[in-house]
This record gives sequence, structure tokens and C-alpha cells, in this order.
Amino acid sequence: MMSIVFSKENLKLSRDLQTLTGENVMLCYQCKKCTLGCPSAYAMGMKPHELMRAIQLGLDEKIYCSGTIWICLSCETCNTRCPQGINILRVIDGLREISKKFEYYNPYPALPALHRIFIALVKRFGKVYELGLALLINLRMLTPLKDIDMASPMLMKGKLKLLPHISHGAKELRQVMARIRKLEGAK
Amino acid sequence: MRYAYFPGCSLSSSGYDYHLSLKYVTKALGIDLVEIKDWVCCGASSAHATSHLLSIALPVLNLSHAEKDGFDQLIAPCLACLSRFKAANVEMEHDADLRKKIHEVFDYKYQGKVKVYHPLEVFLEIGFEKIRERIRKKLKGLKVACYYGCVLTRPPKIAQFDNVEDPQSMDSIVQALGAETMDWSFKTECCGVSMTLTRSDMVLKLSNDILREVKEVGANVIAVACPLCQANLDGRQRQIEETYKTRHGIPVLYFTQLMGLAFGAYPKEVGIQKLITSPLEALGSIGLM
Repeated sequence: MMSIVFSKENLKLSRDLQTLTGENVMLCYQCKKCTLGCPSAYAMGMKPHELMRAIQLGLDEKIYCSGTIWICLSCETCNTRCPQGINILRVIDGLREISKKFEYYNPYPALPALHRIFIALVKRFGKVYELGLALLINLRMLTPLKDIDMASPMLMKGKLKLLPHISHGAKELRQVMARIRKLEGAK
Repeated sequence: MRYAYFPGCSLSSSGYDYHLSLKYVTKALGIDLVEIKDWVCCGASSAHATSHLLSIALPVLNLSHAEKDGFDQLIAPCLACLSRFKAANVEMEHDADLRKKIHEVFDYKYQGKVKVYHPLEVFLEIGFEKIRERIRKKLKGLKVACYYGCVLTRPPKIAQFDNVEDPQSMDSIVQALGAETMDWSFKTECCGVSMTLTRSDMVLKLSNDILREVKEVGANVIAVACPLCQANLDGRQRQIEETYKTRHGIPVLYFTQLMGLAFGAYPKEVGIQKLITSPLEALGSIGLM
């Protein structure tokens, strides 16, 4: 049994998240509907309803070390079913967004790495370069030949393009991204 | 009828057959698709996991292009794009603070005039009568499991389309083509696509669950409405069979491919040759190939 000494400090995480996302996690009364409908709950150390409780208690180290926020598939089932109307995915996205501020251990570093590579490729080309994304994340995970059995028939059927498409809108996109970074940095 | 068209990244490569068949079907139904000028990626799940502002800005960038060109209706066939676009519209309408920030980022101030639709919504609007008129070859004998995927109907506040837990739109269209559709419980389960490159084990499990259920209810074809579902259920089917020591062999077609075939298209015209799991047996059994 874990005992928690509850202080004002413990409220910091839920308040920070409310400021960032507008969602009030304190509304959760542990009905577990989110966990029961979650397709990836089986792979989570900390289930979605446990995550909600951990946020209420301000246990950020436990939350980040469980890696749950990276195992979420963003399928929106929990949001749809929550009787309290909490946008749980938005809360998880908030945790993902502020994860950079914490230096806790992340059991699934490949997931945030994928998002970084994805955004970097979009910034460069304006569109996703599927083959490039797969190659880069495979290298990052030290499994360069992963999914080669899937890629080869797709290449043969022309379902994977060898070279990236470049959007003419990429320049405008980079401008927008630079302004967003400035706006977010100014916060 | 004229719509702005946002194909999205997948439809120019792994989902090219969806693009081909959608073009064929819309042309047959008298819908004009005009590709948005200089479109860029919608950000998919990576943008909203990185920065909320970015996840709204990317769709808004594309929506502004459509709005500037005088469109008030847009078609997004990929579910990842669709849900990001719809979310951007809803949040821009209801969140004044966000709207202010977005307007700060852009030179052009998006007015929220462009309504976003999935092709299914557009076809329902057109009506079954017009669809039936176009049919040259009924799909009689085909048993189809319509798979809607995760975010076509979820969350209802954003999607504002069909029944959230037991959608019927694709079923009703496929029935209009003369095929039989199955009642099954995995219509809106997630195939796990956002993990496809990083935690493939999860994708294999979730997609195997879906394929197993399809077999159980006796369907011989799956119809999908998203290039990402298709890539997982079809592209990974051999890996799934190897991992779970089973045999599925279920072809995964876009619902637009089924429509195209019923409208009398040659299989090649709607990209049937691009499917990984061979549809020869299923389509051959009803004389389509």
C-alpha cells in the first residue's frame, strides 16, 4: 500500500494541465469506462483511469515513468465515453506537450522520437515522406530492417514512393511554424 | 457539385488506390473535386502530441487556401486528416483565445467558412437513388464487413456524423450496391495505426482481433474508409498471419473501390491491382474479375 502525504504541491500538475488544456481532471470519479474501452490498456503499466487519479494526486514521476501517455493510440474512445465529459486525450496531449520539461525516465523513447522525425520531415517537405519516416525511425530504434517484408510488396505495387513529394506550400508552412515557436516561447 | 479536395499525404503514395477510386466514383456521380492549391500535411497524430497550436495551425493553413479560392465545402478522405480538419473548425469556432493566437500566426485570417466532409457524408447527401442509377453490375453475393475505424464518428462533438458506436452509413451504401453487409462488433475499434512504425506488436494484435472477428461473422471482404486502416489490415496481414499462426486471407478494399466496381469500372481503373491480399477469390466468386 502506498501512502501519499497530500499538500498544495500535489495540486500543481492538475492545475498546470487545466491552464494548458482547459480540462478539469478533478471531475474524474473513477468509473473506469475509459480503461474498459481503451484498445491499448492491455499494454499500459498505468491504465487510463489510474492516470486520471495520478494526475489528481500530482504524481508526475509515476506518470511519466509508466510511459502510458506514449502508448495511447489517440483513438478518442475514452473521450467519447467519459460520463464527466473530460477530454482525456487532450489531457494526455497536454502531458506529452509538457513532458520535455521533466527529465523522468521514458520507457518508450521511440514514440516522442517518431513525432519529432514526423514534424521535421513535414517541415522540410510540407508532406509526410512515408519511406523516409520509416527508415529514420527504424535507425533510431536500431532495427534498420524492421518491416522490410511489408515494404517490399508495397514498393513493387507502387504503394511506397522512393522519393519524397515536395509541397509548394512548404515555405509558407515553415514561416507559420517559426511564428508558432515564437508565440509559444513567449509564453 | 464542386468540392475542394484535400487528398492528404497517404493518398499520394500508400493510399493511391483510394485516390483513384474516389476520383472515379465522384466523376460518375457528377461531383467535381478540385485539389487545394499548395496543400501541406495536416499534422496527424504527431502534431497534436507535440503542440496544440501547431495541430490547429496545419489544418487551418489548408482551410485558408480553400477559403481564399472561394470554396465552402471540402472533402478529406483520410480519417486522420478529416478529424484534424473538423477539430480545427470546431475549436476555432468555440475557443476565442485560440482563434486569436491562430490569427496572430497567419497573414490571412481564416473565417471558418469551409465545411469539412468525408466522402461517405457526401455520397449519403447525394442519395441512394442517384447511386443506384449508376450501378452497372450488382455486387450480389459479396459479404462485406464495413470497418469504419477510430475517428470517423469519434468524438461525436467533432465528427458530427453517424451513430458513434454502431455506424451505418457505409453499410447502407454497400447494401445499395447489392452486397450483403455484416452485423459485427468491431466496426469502430482502433487498428492501432499511430503505433505502426514504433510498436508494431500492438498493431498486429489489434488488427488481428479485427480480422478474426471479420472471419467469424463470415464476411469475405472488408470495406474501409481510411488509407491508414487499409495499410494495417491489408499491408500487415501476412505479418499478422505469421505472428498468430493463422490464415485470414481477407481482402481489404476501399468502399470507393466497391462502388467503382459496381459502377462498371475495370478493376485497374479503381486500383484493385494494388491490393496486397489478393481479392481474386472473393471478387471472382461474383464474376467481377
